[in-house]
Amino acid sequence: MKLFKTNSNDDSRDARQDKNGFAALKRVFQIRELPILLYVLGLIVVFSFITKGFLSIKNFENISRQISTIGIVSIGMTLVILTGGIDLSVGAILSFAINIGGQGIVHGWPIWIVYPFMLFLGIALGWINGFLITRINVPALIITLGTMNIYRGTIMVITEGKYITPIPHHYNFLGSGIVPFVVLAVVLALFIFITLNTRFGRNLFAIGGSELSAVYSGVPVRQFKMIVYVISGLLSALAGMILVGKSGFIQPQAGIGYELNAIAAVVIGGTSIFGGSGSVLGTFLGSVLIGLILAGLTMMAVNPYWIGLITGILIILAISADAIRVLKKAKG
Amino acid sequence: MRKRSEKVLSPVTSQRKILYVLGMVNVLIIIILSFLSPTFTTYGNLTAVLSRMSELSMLAIAETIVLISGGFDLSIGSIMALSGALCGKLYVMGIPFHIVLILALLSGVAVGGLNAFLVVSLNLQPFIVTLATMSIVRSIVYGILKGIVLADFPEKFLDLGYVYVFKIPLLFLIVVGTAVVIIILLKKTVIGRYIFAMGANERTAYLSGIFVNRIKFFVYCLSGLICAIAGLLFTIRIRAIIPDAGINAPLEVITAVLIGGTAITGGKGSVLGSLLGILAMYLLLNGFNLLGLNPFWNIIILGIILIYVVGQENILKSLRQRRLIQSR
Amino acid sequence: MIVVEKISKSFPGVKALDNVSFTVNDGEVHGLVGENGAGKSTFIKILSGIYPDYEGRILINGTPIRFNSVHDAQKNGVATIFQELTVIHELSVMENIFLGREPLKFGGIIDWDNMRRRSEEVLSFLGVQLDPGMLVGELSIANQQIVEICKALVLDAKIIIMDEPTSSLTEHEVERLFALINKLRERKITIIYVSHKIEEIFEICDTITVLRDGKHIGTLKRDRTNPNEIISMMVGRSLETAFPKRTSRPGELILSVRGLTRYGEFEDVSFDLHRGEIIGFAGLIGAGRTELVKAIFGATKLDKGEIILHGEKTGPFLHPQYALSNGLAYLSEDRKGEGLMLQLSVRKNITLSILKKLSKYSFIKYKNEKSIVEDFVSRFRIKLASIEQVMESLSGGNQQKVVISRLLLTEASVFILDEPTRGIDVGAKYEIYRIMNDLTAEGKGIIFISSELPEVIGISDRILCMREGRLVRTFSREEATEEDIMRVLLGGQVHEAI
Repeated sequence: MKLFKTNSNDDSRDARQDKNGFAALKRVFQIRELPILLYVLGLIVVFSFITKGFLSIKNFENISRQISTIGIVSIGMTLVILTGGIDLSVGAILSFAINIGGQGIVHGWPIWIVYPFMLFLGIALGWINGFLITRINVPALIITLGTMNIYRGTIMVITEGKYITPIPHHYNFLGSGIVPFVVLAVVLALFIFITLNTRFGRNLFAIGGSELSAVYSGVPVRQFKMIVYVISGLLSALAGMILVGKSGFIQPQAGIGYELNAIAAVVIGGTSIFGGSGSVLGTFLGSVLIGLILAGLTMMAVNPYWIGLITGILIILAISADAIRVLKKAKG
Repeated sequence: MRKRSEKVLSPVTSQRKILYVLGMVNVLIIIILSFLSPTFTTYGNLTAVLSRMSELSMLAIAETIVLISGGFDLSIGSIMALSGALCGKLYVMGIPFHIVLILALLSGVAVGGLNAFLVVSLNLQPFIVTLATMSIVRSIVYGILKGIVLADFPEKFLDLGYVYVFKIPLLFLIVVGTAVVIIILLKKTVIGRYIFAMGANERTAYLSGIFVNRIKFFVYCLSGLICAIAGLLFTIRIRAIIPDAGINAPLEVITAVLIGGTAITGGKGSVLGSLLGILAMYLLLNGFNLLGLNPFWNIIILGIILIYVVGQENILKSLRQRRLIQSR
Repeated sequence: MIVVEKISKSFPGVKALDNVSFTVNDGEVHGLVGENGAGKSTFIKILSGIYPDYEGRILINGTPIRFNSVHDAQKNGVATIFQELTVIHELSVMENIFLGREPLKFGGIIDWDNMRRRSEEVLSFLGVQLDPGMLVGELSIANQQIVEICKALVLDAKIIIMDEPTSSLTEHEVERLFALINKLRERKITIIYVSHKIEEIFEICDTITVLRDGKHIGTLKRDRTNPNEIISMMVGRSLETAFPKRTSRPGELILSVRGLTRYGEFEDVSFDLHRGEIIGFAGLIGAGRTELVKAIFGATKLDKGEIILHGEKTGPFLHPQYALSNGLAYLSEDRKGEGLMLQLSVRKNITLSILKKLSKYSFIKYKNEKSIVEDFVSRFRIKLASIEQVMESLSGGNQQKVVISRLLLTEASVFILDEPTRGIDVGAKYEIYRIMNDLTAEGKGIIFISSELPEVIGISDRILCMREGRLVRTFSREEATEEDIMRVLLGGQVHEAI
């Protein structure tokens, strides 16, 4: 008998036929997302009992905006973290897009120029992140910490701290009713599809799982990493656009704390902070969870600043679970 | 030929080089600013700069220790805010002031202990752990203060801000004092050596018999303590307690510390370098203010310098290794 | 057909391959054997495209090639299955097989049906029952390896290199692998099979090439040779390295270990060590020697067993500090990762383990530190300009002397030296042997691990052979020969050729 532990040769298990080509999706869904889904549903039920008006229409709009903005940013963050990176500048990019892009509103530009301009800014800033990360041998952590502050500083210099107000009514559309949810749903569906069905999406798991193997297999690692940061920037800008709608003003401090919320949503949703495993769907559920907590606690007139506390604790719990899972796997 | 390359290869000389350069940079800034602005060289302005530097300098000292040990601490700003907030809140609640002070300091140690616990017991990355504790502690601060700014303190305490010893602000002297103590700790004591060793190569340190986990606790708790002291200094200086205190600290401090020659991977560092980095930052900020420039240029420049410095260090490191391989 | 012409490759301080030339014929299973450090892995890395810089040339079917990346090698029909598998755990079997070259429908969307169908084709060709949709992370290592083989097939590789493929396989899985190799042979795929397991080489290979110390020793057809001859070629060398004379007179018992076990690494190891004695551990990679000594030292956890030092049961140690304070010191085989602190000075490296002794009220006494360091530097003739010099700038040999000095300063009574002369020039090696002798003359005991058999035999009083986690045989210095030891290490079931 061999001393060293090897997995038994279990042909019968390996031969289990699964006709559906989405076996991977099914398995992941079974393990990771289910508990969170249950928490979310449970939370909705609890909140609707505790607070009157939780399920009212007006509140629904608030919740919808909040969940959508966090959700959209988190989806971008998921892609970045899947490749083993991180983007601390998402909040700054969001703010930059709407503040600098919003200068167009001040100058009277029409909405069909302002919106694309905002998206363009998101892409451009994301591109800068990607460029620096793939060319300079400095961790993404440091780079995006630096760019976060470069972008925020630039915002303050250009806007001089002034709010942009008033905002013409037609900007409200993106922020009212179920529109934010629709946008979120579209982005969600798109990226779930991409991460499950396209070469680009699947290769992201390879890059995060074992970058060396990906390189050996000819995966265009550098390009894909670039794309991922551009997407993150783009989605941050999009989230900002939703945020603008219906609030009536644009402030330079927009988006503060979004990086933390996004990372929290990603980690809580079951994506490993080390990269290589996770799901967009899980992140979505994670951001719903956070969004609900935010909205619910506001309704209960709890000091909104407690959000940071809960978010922080949730992050620690989630990464501890992740770390324990990794430890268990290593032990064998 | 060999002699020259060997001189360069001593850690002391390369550190000295950085200090020298940084010192020159500071002198340069001072000279330029004194030409550009007459108010710059006034006693009032210079002592104001030194005072304003005090709490961030303390945070820089704390962060230097943590980075040298191979760790990372993003919660420094939040701990600073916490000690101030606790100070105010507990005093308002009627607790005797000296006990309030002790509790405020202990809160810093406690948060440090929490950081260390999570890093050690669950083997989590310090970046994520302190990112989380940063926000947890910050929201505790918000919760304590509920958005209000407190301004009710014993006059004697606050007046420390006006104390000058040999014409230098007391607050700054406290910083210098702390710096001296920490420098002695790092350079001359056994535990200081252990901290460097751990940062240089944790496995080697462990196999050489060092209780790595115990030292991590020590480092994070010490950092927490120093940040708590920084909070008190801040409160004295502005004579109030702000919930947003230190919210930008991580970036500014880490940039200054990295510029000052401390390596992000650990094993190398200088408290003096970090302080010179903070000095440079504040001189620039002061200059911007006096010249009427938007002070937010500060963080833009910081972000650029951060990326540049760490990038340079990496490039230099690989260049140095290649040169070493060839020279052998 | 692969023609290897005068391949040489050097690294700082060591010549890994020296003018190696031989030929691999089409469609054969060509075994590549040699001891640790013979140059096998360097050669594979060159052929796989990991090292684009080397001297000499390689011709494949008459065309000279030089791969500048692994991907480049793959495009040219050379696929490598490394010992460390490169599968992506979170992706499915078929996605791994087609990684980077996934069949697409329009617009970058993966054509799952196509991928699944072609994966099933490859799997059934190999006669393996695997669900292409399963996550690779959930497969056994053997099956993960099969995924890699499928990947190579789909790449249309004409040459497949397998690096120690059976190191983690059960006997049943090895048989299955050999059946697969036979199938590959049918397809006229050339296989280069690197292994140190002679029985397997003789079972599966058509031709065998032996490397030793970076040089090509011989290439023989399997049917024209026998295991003993191969073993002789692997180890036979004139003992040029002289070993300093030792008049060893082992004294009283100093260390006794009984029944040491660590699940998955080693089992039921017991031995004794006497004062003034050097016991050498011989074994192949993976035999468990380093794991054993690390557990003795307290760096990892012992599941079972006891340790008796100086006659007292000091038991398993929970932390290296306890081992050190009881007089047990350990030199790691991983000099860079576990021995050196590269950014710190020589002085700080040497005194790391004894700082408490050099300090008063926690303050380090610089003068004492300096003098003790200078003492050792001169004693061991460590070449440096100043003790403040940073460790990075020293040569390998001098670095090792620094680390050994650190150990010696602890004044331990038992020293565990794991590959102390690895990657060091001959002169420095000799000095380290001399140091070891001096230690034994002082009555210390040494546990010595090395992969160079001549060294183990030349220096040790007794040689303990480990194989797959067990202590299988002990030789005394007088009765030990390289071939006998190698045979024991390889399994002792080696059959004579007819």
